[in-house]
Amino acid sequence: MKGMGIIFSNIYDKYLGELTDHRTVASLPFGGRYRQIDFILSNMRNSGISQVGIVTKYHYQSLMDHLGSGQDWDYTIQKDGLSLLPPFANSHDGVYRGKLEALHNALPFLTDAEAEYVILSDSVVQSAIDFRKVLQSHIASGAEVTVVAVPGRADGKRVLPFAVRCDADGTVTDVAIEYAAPKDFLCGTGMFIIGRQFLIKAIEQTVSRGQYHLEKDFIQRQYYQNGLKLHVYRFDQVALFNSSILEYYQNNLALLRPEIRKGLFQGESTIYTKIHNQVPAYYSKTAQITDCLVADGCYLEGSAEQSILFRGVRLGKYASVSRSVIMKGVTIEQGAVLDCVILDSDVTVRKHAILKGTPEHPVVVKKGETV
Amino acid sequence: MGILTQYQPLELNEYIGNGQPWNLNRAHGGVQILPPYSRSKKSEWYKGTANAIYQNFSFIGRYQPEYVLILSGDHIYQMQYDDMLRAHEIAGADCTIAVRQVPLEEASRFGIVNARQTGEIYEFEEKPKQPKSNLASMGIYIFRWDILQKALEEDENRPNSSHDFGKDVLPQLLKEGKRLFAYQFHGYWKDVGTIESLWQANMDLLGPEPKFALVGEGHKQIFCRNEAWPCSFLGRGAEIDQSLVAEGCEIDGKVYHSVISTGCQVEAGAVIDHSVIMPNVTVKAGAKILYSIIAEDCVIHAEAEIGQMPVSEEFPFISVVGKEMEIGARVCIKAGEIVEREETP
Repeated sequence: MKGMGIIFSNIYDKYLGELTDHRTVASLPFGGRYRQIDFILSNMRNSGISQVGIVTKYHYQSLMDHLGSGQDWDYTIQKDGLSLLPPFANSHDGVYRGKLEALHNALPFLTDAEAEYVILSDSVVQSAIDFRKVLQSHIASGAEVTVVAVPGRADGKRVLPFAVRCDADGTVTDVAIEYAAPKDFLCGTGMFIIGRQFLIKAIEQTVSRGQYHLEKDFIQRQYYQNGLKLHVYRFDQVALFNSSILEYYQNNLALLRPEIRKGLFQGESTIYTKIHNQVPAYYSKTAQITDCLVADGCYLEGSAEQSILFRGVRLGKYASVSRSVIMKGVTIEQGAVLDCVILDSDVTVRKHAILKGTPEHPVVVKKGETV
Repeated sequence: MGILTQYQPLELNEYIGNGQPWNLNRAHGGVQILPPYSRSKKSEWYKGTANAIYQNFSFIGRYQPEYVLILSGDHIYQMQYDDMLRAHEIAGADCTIAVRQVPLEEASRFGIVNARQTGEIYEFEEKPKQPKSNLASMGIYIFRWDILQKALEEDENRPNSSHDFGKDVLPQLLKEGKRLFAYQFHGYWKDVGTIESLWQANMDLLGPEPKFALVGEGHKQIFCRNEAWPCSFLGRGAEIDQSLVAEGCEIDGKVYHSVISTGCQVEAGAVIDHSVIMPNVTVKAGAKILYSIIAEDCVIHAEAEIGQMPVSEEFPFISVVGKEMEIGARVCIKAGEIVEREETP
């Protein structure tokens, strides 16, 4: 593979409220046994990308803990494997303001690398994308930058961080930032392919002028001012955007639909995650679990429907959970009733407590709290 | 750690790999699989448990150990071997044998240890007709390496020996006046060398108070090689009761008092009761599996019926479907029947 990967772990932290109080967007648990970064990292590994840099800003301890030595994804922490790129102390106030500035911090990593192309990505969009195909398409197009974008998300109401419009042959005709793009736009996934040397030059030129926003200060500006050759790779398969708490909630529950699970898990690629060695889930005589995803280590005595139960959830007798996302290590005691809630890791719900949200406004309980 | 294996080393090799899941991927030591191999003069299968160790003297010798711990791979239990080693050292024993109490009426099926109050063994009887005690050997031994080395060398040259620890080596050591001690173990232990016992050991994991709890007080983590499966999905038809279900399954049928391994599919209307389903098995709509073990990668087609409710709960006849089998629609397999592929040479 002629490509290397760079994953931004923090860029959208602020959109996910209390869920990212103590962790990066990348290490936010998703889908019962994964962290969000598992998807992009597995995609890179499955696409034969051997060198990946992970740009971090703050709260990255949970991320480091999750990644360990990288071996669960078949990577190792070394020059030609996985590199964590925390902010350098010599930059401004220690943390960066945008992707370009973050990349400026990581310039030695980029200049030392040998890959011809760089794949940039966030960990907000969950998919099973094959970057070999994206790279082939990028090379064939002769473009300087390829943006991976999906149809169906632009609806004229939702404000998209990055959207493009292109004609039938894929030529870009419009590039918009923070725009409630109409339906004929494609929504950017935050995944880009750029030539490594070209990217290095771009970083040096923009950051030296006080510009740090990749999409606005580089891609959009270069496109309009200097005729940047921009190519769109249209991705038509499952792509779940977890860019708000509501979307995060809805996308977890979307995994209950077979076509969504198929799109993420049953293709040729495997999604890897940190190995935990937990026992299989146990269902007691009183358990009634339907239309749920259940991870290892759960001990289930109550009832649950249309919910995602992460690892090691304990569900007491006569407790009932519906339309909820229950993260790792949560204990729900006897007789508690939960509907439309997101319980972060290690929450305890006391006996007979009742917590109800709505599908539009799920109740979020912060990590470790007792209700 | 060395793993002695006589047959089919490929699967075991793949599973153990470099030992990383068990934290055994060390630069020095770690884990090695030791199948019988050809030497310059002769090559031979392992003739007995003692002979298997004898043939790997050079492997043990490389580490210059003080003690050697000998274990069986087909026992299900949790034990802290360092407690046993401490007892061995305190007693100043030449060999320590882990023992557990069995009902006296069953004692004639085991190697029975007769020991004094101090734990010192004065007699070892392999499957005695009239057992004098109910302390059964668990096939777990700690030896001083020098004692083991000498004992096995001598045993190797004894023409009538079957080269077995229980039958030959231990009685001989006693005869020579060596210090053998019993170390009593109180937890759950099961030899899963037979179909019934393998099935029973799985059933022992289930129920409100399982005989062998995988979690809970005093429980230590059990490590295994993990595959990257997504969570299990339970459909609207799923009814799961007193069962363990691993990850990567899609279940829309009924599962009672059973153990379902990774990557299994159980379609709507299928029923699994008191059974053990190994990885990647597909059970199609309306199939029934009762009191059975289904090995990995099988497909049980619609409305097939495997096994029956036993007449007596105490002695169920377990049906077995060997790995990679396909059982056709509406095919019946009787209680206690075993179906498997003919081995291709």
